[in-house]
Parts: sequence; structure tokens; C-alpha cells
Amino acid sequence: MPGADKNTDLSERIEAFLADLKRGGTGAGPLRGSAETARETTALLRRITAQARWSSAGDLMEIIRKEGRRMTAAQPSETTVGNMVRRVLKIIREEYARSRGSSEETDQQESLHKLLTSGGLSEENFRQHFPTLKANVIEAINELLTELEGTTYNIAMQALEHIHSNEVIMTIGRSRTVEDFLKDAARKRKFHVIVAECAPFCQGHKMATSLSQAEIETTVIPDAAIFAVMSRVNKVIIGTQTVLANGGLRAVNGTHTLALAAKHHSTPLIVCAPMFKLSPQVPYFPFSPSHSYEQRSVTHSLWWVRREILSKVNVYCPVFDYVPPELITLFISNIGGNAPSYIYRLMSELYHPEDHEL
Amino acid sequence: EDAPAAVAPSSGPASERGKQSRSGGGRKGADDQEEEEQPLQAVLIADSFNRRFFPITKDQPRALLPLGNVAMIDYTLEFLTSTGVQETFVFCCWMSHKIKEHLLKSKWCRPTSPNTVHIITSDLYRSLGDVLRDVDAKNLVRYDFVLVYGDVVSNIDVTQALQEHKHRRKVEKNISVMTMVFKESSPGHKSRCEEDDIIVAMDTKSQRVLHYQKTQGLKKLQFPMNIFHNGSEDFEIRHDLLDCHISICSPQVAELFTDNFDYQTRNDFVRGMLVNEEILGNQIHMHVTKDGYGARVSNLLMYDSVSSDLIRRWVYPLTPEANFTDREGPPCTHSRHNVYRGPGVSLGHGSQMVENVLIGCGTSIGADCHISNSVIGSNCNIGDNVTLDCAYVWNHVTISKNVTISQSVVCDRVEIREGVRLNKQCVLAYNVLIGPNVSLPDGTVVSMHHPDEEEEEDDDEFLSDGDADASQSKEKNKQKGFNPAEVGVEGKGFVWKTSSLDDTEDEELSQCLWGLVLNPDPESDSEASEPDDPDDPVIPSPEMDDVKVFELEVLGTLQRGLEENIGCDNLVVEVNSLKYAYNITLREVMQMLTRVVLEFPFQQQQGVQLSAAQYATVLLPLIERWAPLFKNYVKKAQDHLDCLSAFEEHFLEQEKHWPAMIKVLMSMYQLEILEEELIMRWFSQGATTDKGRQLRKNQGLQKFIKWLEEAEDESSEDE
Repeated sequence: MPGADKNTDLSERIEAFLADLKRGGTGAGPLRGSAETARETTALLRRITAQARWSSAGDLMEIIRKEGRRMTAAQPSETTVGNMVRRVLKIIREEYARSRGSSEETDQQESLHKLLTSGGLSEENFRQHFPTLKANVIEAINELLTELEGTTYNIAMQALEHIHSNEVIMTIGRSRTVEDFLKDAARKRKFHVIVAECAPFCQGHKMATSLSQAEIETTVIPDAAIFAVMSRVNKVIIGTQTVLANGGLRAVNGTHTLALAAKHHSTPLIVCAPMFKLSPQVPYFPFSPSHSYEQRSVTHSLWWVRREILSKVNVYCPVFDYVPPELITLFISNIGGNAPSYIYRLMSELYHPEDHEL
Repeated sequence: EDAPAAVAPSSGPASERGKQSRSGGGRKGADDQEEEEQPLQAVLIADSFNRRFFPITKDQPRALLPLGNVAMIDYTLEFLTSTGVQETFVFCCWMSHKIKEHLLKSKWCRPTSPNTVHIITSDLYRSLGDVLRDVDAKNLVRYDFVLVYGDVVSNIDVTQALQEHKHRRKVEKNISVMTMVFKESSPGHKSRCEEDDIIVAMDTKSQRVLHYQKTQGLKKLQFPMNIFHNGSEDFEIRHDLLDCHISICSPQVAELFTDNFDYQTRNDFVRGMLVNEEILGNQIHMHVTKDGYGARVSNLLMYDSVSSDLIRRWVYPLTPEANFTDREGPPCTHSRHNVYRGPGVSLGHGSQMVENVLIGCGTSIGADCHISNSVIGSNCNIGDNVTLDCAYVWNHVTISKNVTISQSVVCDRVEIREGVRLNKQCVLAYNVLIGPNVSLPDGTVVSMHHPDEEEEEDDDEFLSDGDADASQSKEKNKQKGFNPAEVGVEGKGFVWKTSSLDDTEDEELSQCLWGLVLNPDPESDSEASEPDDPDDPVIPSPEMDDVKVFELEVLGTLQRGLEENIGCDNLVVEVNSLKYAYNITLREVMQMLTRVVLEFPFQQQQGVQLSAAQYATVLLPLIERWAPLFKNYVKKAQDHLDCLSAFEEHFLEQEKHWPAMIKVLMSMYQLEILEEELIMRWFSQGATTDKGRQLRKNQGLQKFIKWLEEAEDESSEDE
């Protein structure tokens, strides 16, 4: 039966993707970087849309939610997966609304008045069957994929507006988005980049090598020197792992220090973050460890400690910092620059409020 | 019965997946593509073939024992799958049905699993060697495969090692048969199992293993010199390696095990390969990884350290909250100080989970408990005021109030009554009941099985190293009742051994379980070190018999005698004492002595070819010097003949030196070591082989004999 074949093929792919996610989505595993994770997720969701058995938008959303929950559980620190699931859910809602002839705008607008008067949006059950829905949804997901392909480029395009000649730029660790951003600016302008190495994994070293290959004047500094060097810096440009709903960041460890130093010296802090990193999560305290860090093996030095000593030593290696929104000057996303205070608005445009919890 | 159970998905998707995951640029040509697409196979041995975990493994095979609340075999399978293994053969022997049941239920046997698991069971497997011979007989592996035990916990990415292995095999066809994976780790690190401590000599450039030896607590290690003679100039002797027990093998390995039916373990294999390298032409290589984690849970001490490493997240991404086995229900949560809580855990008022604690689902903990560095399984019931430190409590355990447990293992369904105290390294096997108000001394092992039961099963179940212990315990627990003094008034269970008893045998079991350093006994010490005498150019074979050792000793004595100018009388004393030490007959002493002396010039000028004349010039003074030594042993007629036959044997091998032979014989005659009459007799006795006849036809010898005859005639005329 061809249908069964299709189904096993699909579930096989889902399992493989889940396994890849579990093996460390952030650089260590087979999936490299969140851009690729986002693309992979979206492609998989498109496949689910095309191959799974569903008759109405409600069914499809249920299937995608279920798989989405599994995917986010597989790698809680990789928020991109959840974000993409929400984007696709939003697409389905829009396409369904369009098929029914009502504009999605009416659904979207949520005023206090409307919340109080209406019985709730969820009465909409998405049960109506539309033969064209599948094609439309796939078409819309394809558009999303095209958007994802272009994010890094779109961000890099804006580089010349922000980087001027003879400026001193500071960055931390390695972010592909920032790397492309700086390289793009380097085509026209001469400037100096200072890279904080970001111990213990020292991704900054890689970043510096790559930048200097693009003939950008680059200096690597230890993390401890960030504050000392900050007075000479004109701008801080960093990447992030996630942009939280309040406009804060979950970024590589050391970013908070960097942001505080920048604030002290009133140096503008610019965050390059594609839209798919925008997550409806809000920070909660204490920042739960499984969200703030995932420990990789820190084998470098402490592995050599002898038995008697090591049994009394706990090694903690947080991977992420929370950076509060008041320390951030500007977000540069693929759709332009935004202040942190505007993030909530972008959030409501990208995701449907009912999808915040998968 | 062999039952390849499970679920081969149709070959289509499998090969497609192969392409996907191998990321290979396999579009170069038909040949290349074929190589790229070789699916990676693995042989997983879900049996340890020893009894290190014994009273525990009586009820559950080792591969299924929980480590961080997940069966050990799942870690191994996850490791294999994440390195890209697509087909795994799991070999089970002891309690194979349980392993099979577990695997069939697990995610590895689902049709969507990227790693197809075949389960092969047989009660006939007695060792790793048996399994690999079966692999060969059934022709299961076609390509390079990964060989691991079912108790290896690792997150090492062996892809690089695999590529190196394949590259080596491409460059030199079928020379390298195995690549062993090691992790850098300082001596004394807690993930290093002390009884598994190894020392490896390697060729730096080619990563070839030249010498592999378990140190076994030896203070003095010796290496055969010949390993440093061939190959490149750079060598490393490394003691900073942890053997991960992961090896990448070529299909030849299985064949080699079939050819050498005496190989039982991987250790035998490696040593066999290294010793017979020149004959078989196979080499073994190694791969050293700096990051990653890999360790084998070979005893309870390792169980302790691997568990604690797991909880301290050294094995990331295999962490307790990752739920890589896809268990139903929500995974456990991870909070500060490495505290993991499963769903439905309840914690009483005032209870503290200090650090590094993992608690499985549905467990309830009473008030005022103090828990640190411990793992608690699912559905346990823990009372008030309980202190757990380094405790490994498995599933469905009931612990009443005021209990203290430190560094102990408590198996499934154990009940511990009020006021019990478990001191270090106690083991409570399945279903035991302890208490109330007893204190178990260090190293107590309690099991529901009577130690005697084991006796009967011993012969057919296992080839064990612990047989001796078992018999010891017999007298102690003759009465088939529970001893309330040991396990408490309500207690159920038999105490196996208590290390506090003044019984050396007892200590051994506890050490077996926990794997403390066994003090190497002096015999094994000397045996292990002496064969590797650095002056000895001969490759010592693994099983060296006493005669051979004796010969080497005699050689050493003579060399020393020469260097330090020791008188012949003292040498005689030394040789005599060696004779008794190795229980050598007088006749053998004679033969050895002759042979050693005759070969002596070769030993001195290693590697240099001696001409017959040179040989003679070196040897003659020596014979003169040691003549008293010979005279001491060569007394009776038979002695002379023995000496001569050894002499003949030597020269049969050294055809080139026949011209020197006559000089040697002559000098021995002149020094009155050999008597003419007996030389004549030896000559006339005739030879048994062609070569011997040839030797006798040698002109020089014939002349010498003639001369002897004439001399005899003359002397008789004189009289």
C-alpha cells in the first residue's frame, strides 16, 4: 500500500530529525547553526503537510502541534524549532481564514473590548473542508522557506547603514549572522573589529580567523578584558541564540558582561537577529538551568584532576546568558531595525497568541 | 537458538538514509560510490563473560542494570546510533530472553529506527572469541564494524577514527585489522578502572600499536626491545590513556578469531596480533580522543564513577533529562546543582537534595531527608530522616525512616526497615529485606540466593574467576535460614561475604564487585616481567614455559658473570639455584647450558652477521673461561652425549659456522670437557636426519675424528 509506505517514510524522517536534535542542535551535532535548524524544521513541516493524512485545517494543526511538541522537547535550548512550528500554524490559520473568505485581520485584532465581548476565538473549529487548502498552505510554507534562505543576506545588506569608516566594533564569540554582516561592510569600509574569545569553547578564535581572512583588521581579547577595552569601542555588534518576548536575549555566555560594560560606557549595543529567532518565551527566574545552560564536556583542564579531588569538585559550564532588554539599543532583523520595546509587536505579527503554548 | 528478531525495513529507505546521513560526496564513480555506501555495522556483546556483578547479575543481566535509571545497553545503542551505525548485532548469552524482551520493547526495534538491531542468542557463548567466531561462521559482517560491550557508556564521535581506519586499509590492503579507541585521561582519574589500567607503546607517526599491556599494579614494566627496532624513529609510551573498549574492526578480525581458536578476549587477540605480527602481517592501530567520554562499567566502582559523571553532565548529550530512550511521559527536569526530578516526585518538608541527585518518576521522599550524589529509581518510597550519600537505589525500593546509606547499591524491590545503616560498598541484591536496627559493615553483600546455590550452577553457567570464593562461603552459611544477627530480626537474605571477617577470600569478592586494586601476587609479578628481559632479542611468546624462562635466566647469569667477572664457582651456585627455582632436570640444564654458550657470540653482537672465523674467536675464550662450569655438570657418559647432541643441534641450525665447529669441538676436547671416547661414540651413533648425516660428512669433522682415532691408537701404543 503506497499510503503506508509514505507514512513510514515520513515517520522515519521525523525520528531521524528528532535524533539529530537530541544530539545537540547547536553546532555540536549534525545540524549546524540555528538557520539550518530553522530550514530543516520548516522543510519537515512542509513534508508533514504534504504527506500526513488530514481532511481539515484543524486536523493538520493538531498533527503539527503534536510533532512540534516532540521536536521542542527533543532540544529545549533550541527555540528555533518551536518558532518555526508556530509560524507554520499561523500560516495554516491565515490560509484557512482566507479560504473562508474572511480576512485574517479581523482575527488578528485583539482589543480589550473584543476580548470581553466575544465568547473567545477558539470557537472557530477549523473543521470546514477546502480542497485548495493543502496547496495554499504548502505554497505559503514555500514562501517562508524562501524568506529563511534570505535572512542572513537581508541582514548583511543593512551593514553599511550601521558601520562607518574607522570605527572600532566589538563582538563576542562566533555568530554567522554577525560574521556576514561585518564582511559585507568590509567590502566598502575600513574598520577594526575586536573579538572577545568567549571561553571555554573559544568560538571567538574561529570568528577572528574568518574575519581576518576577509581582510578585516581583527584583534582577539580575553573575556576579562572586555571592560578595559570598551572605552575605545564605537559599537558593539553581537548575535544571539534567541530573542525573548520582552526584548531580552538568551545569548552566548559572557554577553551579559559585555552588555553591561557597553551600557557603562554608553556604547550602542546592536543585536543582529533574524526573525526566526524571535521566541514567545518570556524569561522566568531563576533562569532554569536547562534553559540557561547545557553542559558540554569541559574536558580541557579539569579532566586531568585526580580521583580524590574530582569527586569533590562540581564543574558547571553555563552556555547561555540572559541579557535584559534595557541594555540593548537596537535589533537588526531581516525586515529592518527595531528597538527592543517594539519586539512585542513583531511577536504578535508572527505568531498567533493561541500558539504560544504548543 | 538463533533468532534474528526484528524488523528489517525494506532496503530502499535504508540505503537512502545511508546517503543522507553519510553526507558523502559519493558522485565520483561507481567504485567510489560503492565504498561510500558501505553501511556501518556493529557487534554489541551484551554479556560480560565474567561475574564481577555477581549476586546482582543472577537476576538480571549486566546490560540491563540501570545506570542513571536507564539500562546500560541503551547507552551503548545510542552511542552506536549517533555515530552512524545502521545495523547492530546484539549477542546475548546469560539471560538472553530478558535482553531480547527489553530490546523488542525499546525504540531500537521500532520500524523507524535508523539502526536496525538484530538479536542473536546462544547459551554456548563463553567469551568474546566465541561470539566473533560465530560472527565469522554466520558471515554476518561484510564491512568494517564497531565492536563494543553492552556496558560501554560513551559519547565519542568515532567517525574520524573510522575514516582513519578506512584510509589505512585502502593504502595498505588488509594490513591494519583493528583500530582501538582511547581517551586521554590522567593516571588515577576516577573514570579509569584500575584493574584495566594499560600501558601502550605506539609509533607516533602511523599511530600503530607496538606494545599493549595491562599494568595490573606492576611497579616495573618491561618492553621487548624489538618493537623499537623497526619502523620510524618516533615512539611514544603512554600511560595516560583510558581504554574505552570501543574498537573498529575489519571483517578479518572475525576470521582471525576462527583461525586462532584459543583467543578468548580482545586482550588475547591484541597480544596475539602484536606478537605474531611478522608471521601474520597484521597490524593494530589506535585512535586517541581528547574530548568525548567513554568508559566501560566493568565493576561497581566504575558503576559509581560513570553514574556520577553522567549526572555531572560529562557525557552530554547523554544526560538524564535528555530522555534519549523515548520513554513515555514527560522527561525529568534539571535544576541547579544538577538535581534532576522525574514527573510525580514528591519531597517532604525539610528534605534537602544537595547536589548531583537524580530521582526517577513516582518516587516519594519523606521529611528531613538529606540526599546527595545519589540516584534513586522510579516508584520508590523513602521515609523520614533518611540520609543518602553516593547511594544507588533502583526501582520499587522501600526505605523506612532513620536509614543511612553511603556508597552502596540497593537493587529493585528491596525493603529497608527502620534504623538500618549501610556502610560503604554494601550491595543489597533483588528483593532483600533488611532490618530493623542493624548496621551492615563495609562491603556486605546480601542476596536472596544462598551462596551455595551458586555452586551447582557454577560449572555450566560461567567460566568464573570467583570459584574459589564460592567454596569458601559454604561452611559459613551451611544453615539454610536467614541469620537475624546479620540481616535484622525481620530480615530476609543471605549475607555473601563480609570483608571485615578475617578471611582473605572474603576480601576478594568485595573487591571483585567494587573492583579495588588487587594486590598483584608475587608469582604473577615475576612471570610477567621476566620474559620481557630487555636484553632478550627473542620475542617472548605469551605462554612462556619454565624451560624457556630458565634458558633466558641462564643467559642472563652468564652475561652478568662475564661483565662483572664472577668466578665459575659462583656461577655454578647461581645456575643450580635457577635449576631448582624452575624445576629443571639435570639433563635439560646440560642442554641449555651448551646451547646458551654456543649461541653466546650471537647475543653479544646483535644483528651483526658473524663469519665462522669471528665466531670461533669470540667463542673459544668463553669456552675456556667457563670450562669449570661445564665440568661441574658434564660428568657421566650420558652427560657427554647430551652435551654433544645439544652441540649438534646448534650447528645443524647454523650451517655457515661448520668451519668453526671443529675448532670448538677441539677446544672442548682439549679443555677436557668432552672425552674422546664419547665423541667417537657420538660420531659413530649416526644421525637421524639427512642434515645430521651431512654434518658428519663434513671434512673438518672427519679429519678431527681421524686425528682422535690416531691419537687414541698412539696413546694405547704408549701404554
